[in-house]
Amino acid sequence: MNSEKVVFAFFIVLALTLNFGFFLGGMDSAEHHNIYELFAAIVVSLISTVLKVGDRTHLGAVFLATSLVADLQLIAAAIVWGIVANVHGEALTGDSLATVVSLSGGALLANLISVILLIAETVSVRR
Amino acid sequence: MPNLIYILFRRLRSPMILLIMVYAVSITGFVLIPGVDDNGQHWDMSFFHAFYFVSFMGTTIGFGEIPYAFTDAQRFWALITMYATVISWLYGIGVLLSVFQDSVFLNQMKTNSFSRRIKNTREPFYIICGYGDTGAQLARSLSKEGILSVIIDPDAERMNDLEGDDFLVPPLSLCADGSQSEILEMAGITHRWCQGIVTIANDDTVNLTVAVVAQLLNPKLRLIARAETPEAEANILSFGANEVINPFETFASRLSLALQSPSLYCLYDWTTCASGAKMKEPPVLASGKWIICGFGRFGGALYEHLDDSDVKLSIIESDRKRRDLPSGSIIGRPTEAPTLKKAGIEEAAGIIAGTDNDANNLSILLTASELNTDIFRIARQNEDKNSHLFQAAEFEILMQRGSIVANTIFALIRTPMLGDFLRIVSRFKKDKAGEVISRIIGVVEDDIPKLWEFKVTLEDAPALYKTIQTRQVTVREIFQGETLHGSDHREKPLSAMPLFMKRDESNVLLPEDDRIIRVGDRFLMCGTQAAHRQMCNILSNINLLENILSGEEIPTGIIWRWMTGKTLLAKTTSETKVTEDSV
Repeated sequence: MNSEKVVFAFFIVLALTLNFGFFLGGMDSAEHHNIYELFAAIVVSLISTVLKVGDRTHLGAVFLATSLVADLQLIAAAIVWGIVANVHGEALTGDSLATVVSLSGGALLANLISVILLIAETVSVRR
Repeated sequence: MPNLIYILFRRLRSPMILLIMVYAVSITGFVLIPGVDDNGQHWDMSFFHAFYFVSFMGTTIGFGEIPYAFTDAQRFWALITMYATVISWLYGIGVLLSVFQDSVFLNQMKTNSFSRRIKNTREPFYIICGYGDTGAQLARSLSKEGILSVIIDPDAERMNDLEGDDFLVPPLSLCADGSQSEILEMAGITHRWCQGIVTIANDDTVNLTVAVVAQLLNPKLRLIARAETPEAEANILSFGANEVINPFETFASRLSLALQSPSLYCLYDWTTCASGAKMKEPPVLASGKWIICGFGRFGGALYEHLDDSDVKLSIIESDRKRRDLPSGSIIGRPTEAPTLKKAGIEEAAGIIAGTDNDANNLSILLTASELNTDIFRIARQNEDKNSHLFQAAEFEILMQRGSIVANTIFALIRTPMLGDFLRIVSRFKKDKAGEVISRIIGVVEDDIPKLWEFKVTLEDAPALYKTIQTRQVTVREIFQGETLHGSDHREKPLSAMPLFMKRDESNVLLPEDDRIIRVGDRFLMCGTQAAHRQMCNILSNINLLENILSGEEIPTGIIWRWMTGKTLLAKTTSETKVTEDSV
């Protein structure tokens, strides 16, 4: 067992699960989407990006790319949320919340690809 | 470049993860801890405000407690996180700085900048493997001539010397092993502007490897190698090297030439000497008894070359275990007078100090001249740093291994046809070589002679190229300048002469005056510096060339040319009439 692989897989899967947890629920119902979950998803996604950086293999490059996409989408969602809540000073309404959730939905897809790649890599390793 | 980023990020991985974690925990803490607004109402910090606060706190900017003054619980948390964030930033910056000071990283950076500069090079360059005494001399000569060189040597100390040296054209250098194919590729062996590769490492096996790799990577490239044993020489030559230089062999064969054919020696010496040297009188070497001290590679080569000439050789070798010495050799220390006397120093014509120790060589020759004041002394100098000692001793002939190789290679680079020229000349009889020498001296006179070459192409000699499309031009008309019309155009013919010509596969030595010049001909010229400049002008300036060929002043402008064209035509027709009449 390789502890580096454990940490790597842990963060990739955690990024997907947190992202999924935030995404789950009605598109415009504020009570289904928790801001703490979004924050946690961003932090975990950033950590998994750092873990992937510096891998010279082709697979590593794809890992990094999907992870960067997830970061971009989640941070965009957080910025939308922050602007609506703090700059405009109003509570998240139906359409702005829908934007945030759909952005996180995109990140979910990217994280899903990461996990599929992880599974593919694991399966292809022969012991 | 990609390698750099990989190294950087791999080293920065742990500080970056630490920073993200510390930030996440700090922000979460501020969001969870309840605060109070300016009216004393309960107020929760949002993620936006928490991120803002942690950002300016962590980077020690410190705007204060924004937007409302903190409660004690918030201050307590701020106290903890302030240390945590600052320490993790310091750790990250420390790692970043250490990466930039890391030797692996620095080497990678140097390598990257080297390969980028090679890629962007848009001028002809030569690759030199090995930066010892020879490499340094060669690089200096090339840079004086304005030729870019790319230097590869695995010795870091020598590369530091290189960076300290002053060059007119600074060479590109890399501290790496030239026998690796990727290093040679990075140095531009397959580059469009690479003119050739010179391998002059101290080790024959390294030169051999570089030659093999270079031949495999770019078979068309010009390859000049140094070899110190005849086996290595034959080996490198066997797979298509253009020139192989063996310093001992070269010097020994020159010395035997000096004994047998002084004018040929002169020709060799002069064509391959450092630029700016005057033509010297050939040294007078008396035949008789010669003493060779030291029977190593140098002494061996000397013995082989001098043995077949009419001199009597006597060898002194200090190694008692040698079994392959020629008969009549004396075993003993050549630095001591009794040994020299035993070898017959009193009646010897000359002595050659050829051991591989500079101090011994000096001592041998000084002792020898005490015993026999008229003796002809030839010294072998091994290290460049002892130059001034040998110069001060004023020996008749000085053999500097580094200079011989460097000068010969430089001459071959500057004038690639020289190798073939010298090979043909070396088969000459004594009197024929003397004739060549006297013709050269007749042209150059007292001036500093120079060798150069050119090819009759649109790029190299545009004026000549265009002219020979329409009319026939002979060698005499261009180089000898004998068909001058009137003395007002040029007072005297160019002080230059063609030494050698190549047309397709055929070689012509000293091309005859009425030979017609064709497109693609290559000429090896010799003459004065001034003549070189003049000839460059003539070959590239069509008006000047027309002037010399016809003796007429050709107008440069279109209108003038059109106006004078009629009169010229009238003149030529009247001239032909006159000749017809006379017939």
